[in-house]
Amino acid sequence: MGQYILRRLLQFIPVFLGVTLVLFVLTRVIPGDPVKLLAGERSQDPVVYEAITKAYGLDKPILVQYVNYLGSIVKGDFGQSIATSREVTTIFKEKYPYTVKLALAAIFVEIIIGIGAGVISALRPYSFLDALVTLSTSVLVSLPVFWLGMLLQYFFGIWLKRWTGATLYLPISGAHSATFPDWVHLILPAVTLASVSTAYAARIMRSQLLEVQGQDYVRTAYAKGLSSRAVLWGHSMKNALIPVVTFVALDLGAMLSGAILTETVFNWPGIGYTIFSAIGKRDWPVVIGSTIIVTLVFMVINLVVDIGYAFLDPRIRYDESKA
Amino acid sequence: MLPYGPGTVRTAGKEAGVLTYRFRRTIATAVVAAMVLSVLGLVGCQPAGQGDGEKSDEPAKGGTMTFFIVEPAFIDPYNAQESEGVQVVQAVFDSLTAIDPISGKAIPAAAASWEPNADATVWTFKLVEGAKFHDGTPVTAKDFVYAFNRIATSPNKIPDAASEIAYHLSPIKGFDEAGEKGTDMAGVKAIDDMTLEITLSYSWGDFAYVLAHPAFGPVPQAAVEKDPKAFADMPVGNGPFKMAEPWKHDQYVKVVADPDYYGDKPFIDGVDFTIFKDEETAFREFQAGTVDFTEIPQGQIQTSIETYGESKDGWTVNPGEQVLIGPEAAIYYYSFNVADPVMKDVKVRQALSMAINRQALADTVYEGTREPADSFIPKGMLGYEPGIWPETTYDLEGAKKLLAEAGYPEGKGLPEIKINFNTGGGHEKPMELISSDWAKLGIKTKSEGLEFPQHIDKMQSHKYQVGRAGWIADYPIMDNFTYPEFLSTSADNWSGFKDLEVDAALEKARATIDEDARIKAYQDIEKKIAAASPVAPLVWYAHRHVGSERLNDFVYDNIGLGHFEKVWLTPEEPASK
Repeated sequence: MGQYILRRLLQFIPVFLGVTLVLFVLTRVIPGDPVKLLAGERSQDPVVYEAITKAYGLDKPILVQYVNYLGSIVKGDFGQSIATSREVTTIFKEKYPYTVKLALAAIFVEIIIGIGAGVISALRPYSFLDALVTLSTSVLVSLPVFWLGMLLQYFFGIWLKRWTGATLYLPISGAHSATFPDWVHLILPAVTLASVSTAYAARIMRSQLLEVQGQDYVRTAYAKGLSSRAVLWGHSMKNALIPVVTFVALDLGAMLSGAILTETVFNWPGIGYTIFSAIGKRDWPVVIGSTIIVTLVFMVINLVVDIGYAFLDPRIRYDESKA
Repeated sequence: MLPYGPGTVRTAGKEAGVLTYRFRRTIATAVVAAMVLSVLGLVGCQPAGQGDGEKSDEPAKGGTMTFFIVEPAFIDPYNAQESEGVQVVQAVFDSLTAIDPISGKAIPAAAASWEPNADATVWTFKLVEGAKFHDGTPVTAKDFVYAFNRIATSPNKIPDAASEIAYHLSPIKGFDEAGEKGTDMAGVKAIDDMTLEITLSYSWGDFAYVLAHPAFGPVPQAAVEKDPKAFADMPVGNGPFKMAEPWKHDQYVKVVADPDYYGDKPFIDGVDFTIFKDEETAFREFQAGTVDFTEIPQGQIQTSIETYGESKDGWTVNPGEQVLIGPEAAIYYYSFNVADPVMKDVKVRQALSMAINRQALADTVYEGTREPADSFIPKGMLGYEPGIWPETTYDLEGAKKLLAEAGYPEGKGLPEIKINFNTGGGHEKPMELISSDWAKLGIKTKSEGLEFPQHIDKMQSHKYQVGRAGWIADYPIMDNFTYPEFLSTSADNWSGFKDLEVDAALEKARATIDEDARIKAYQDIEKKIAAASPVAPLVWYAHRHVGSERLNDFVYDNIGLGHFEKVWLTPEEPASK
């Protein structure tokens, strides 16, 4: 196991180099000069243009820029934003906790509601509840995220506030306010961000559990005289959960790289929108720096998931026996 | 300060807005319906302010106003470049002068009085006595000298954050050396603690207006040098409001009234600048009652006017008169590349300009909120003269005649004309409308929509035929709409218009001290430019903003700055539960 982890960690290096190279090349291929853009539609003072271009090393050949960049990253220096002169690490430290909070809250919703609904409908297939779950998952999957977000905002933030005379409502944007504790601010964005994945999670859970419930070993377990609860939690769920865990974990990885739409609709100060707007401004240090850190996070989560399999399913082994 | 200046951030927001346009319409209707129901059915649920309260004459004190901005690039005056940053700087700092939002004239601010010399090259300012920075240190002429040099020398001294607004100081003697060598400008001198002398490298009669720009505020050297990064997030100024806490990036900037302010103290306790990613969410927060002033998303202006009432003058919010659609000191126009083989013919340019139905453009695309431009200098500005640009009058027959005179009867022989614009900023619809107008002349058009950075590249390098452009005033003076745009050597002259007589007249107008004579000079210049039609003015930008019911006398002026020094809030009624 130890060796496996080490091998996976070593694989990080080429992936990391590849990502930085691709990012670097892509950002230079796209037309648009970040320094010129600082002036908007106005022409720029040539002295200012030259000073900024030099200060950020943008006058050097791309290869030299790339090597210099790698050199400073190794030292933990991700450079600073061209548009605002702020350190990329400062920006990241400021934004990322919000992305993590939102992702964890959304995953929480996804696990509780998604898996819960999946199990319920699998245990009572073709019942009213099952039909309800199937119907609502279909609706959720087809709803665009920003649309659902706006709908929730209108309902919980505006209508409810009016109808209840401002006694019962939810905050519709931002992460802090004087009126609400911080966690309340998470409710609407988390539900919105989780919506589509929750629907998928429920569907996967349902189909997997139905399949497993029909397996021979489950019948054997029943034949042994185990209670249906013991069969469900001791035997069926363990196997049925594997694809669901994969899905949820990869989803967590995706959410941890930022959620542009949800962040925009709910004005959530996360990293996704920061990267998105930095692309518009061609603010390459921010784009590359943040993307690299986000990539690292994703790779680590992937590794953790792979290791997690071994615990869920004893048949999966990462030893060296295969040579 | 230019349209979509900070960016592409705003452009992107607008793009997202286009996608959801239809949906928002529906929702807006639903909201209105719900509101009507709640007023009809649930009496006492929502006190309708304008109905039950006769407006008292005595402004009430207290309360905090919430104001929507997008994330600024800087709130430190040395690099406050776009309207949102400038908005904050304006609350926290006082420049030497200010512009009165009603009369449009320069008025005293940090300077109690000023005097130019005979040829307007040396300006002497007497500072207000007893003014203090928010940290308690007195404001002296030295603080202005330091602040100006901090900006001008930035390319040399802090190249990684060289000031984008340094160009405002370019009239001052020694500006170029300051940027290149890092030496202090020879043209800024503290004669004594209370007297500041500014020497320009050329005459500029409008300089008192230029000085109202927030870049010209003083900064306390000790506070800056102690920790420049901390200062950038929590600048210490001399204005009516001081920072309540450091800028919370992407969330808010909070300022509170400074009890020791030297001038008239504001009525309100403070302003929360709430930072949103776009106006869509900000507008929903406005509907939820948590934001006091915001932009109205496109497509919701008419319903907003029905719901909140239209402001009388277009710039001032009062209860029941809450929607602002007053013109801004900004113009939306099409630029003709005069070096282009087809566009070099003045008759073609005039014909194209006259064939555009600007009224239809204003009515359909902008829901009647923008006015058709009949001048390059926007309405509402000091010196604006209606109808000064005859080619802006819709005249299809006249256009046809001109085109025939140019050798293209009914468009015959004229190659396809290419229109350049940037995508995602709502420029498609005007382009389509103008294409159909030009089709009536028998002209075929094609269009090239590029991303903002590429579009700007094309326009600046004159690699286009006809292109969309916009210009927002840095200072609300006529010079700002003529000198940078039409001086033959100006880098902002996208059309490539070159007339040495106009060049000379522009320099002469700058040197004219008498205000009326100066205004007359600029009017003559504009007439000359109009005759050559290097551009086709289309519409003036206009506000599309709305304030809450509790705002009184809140002025949002034509350069897009809110005036927090006069606004007062209707006190909250005892809550009706």
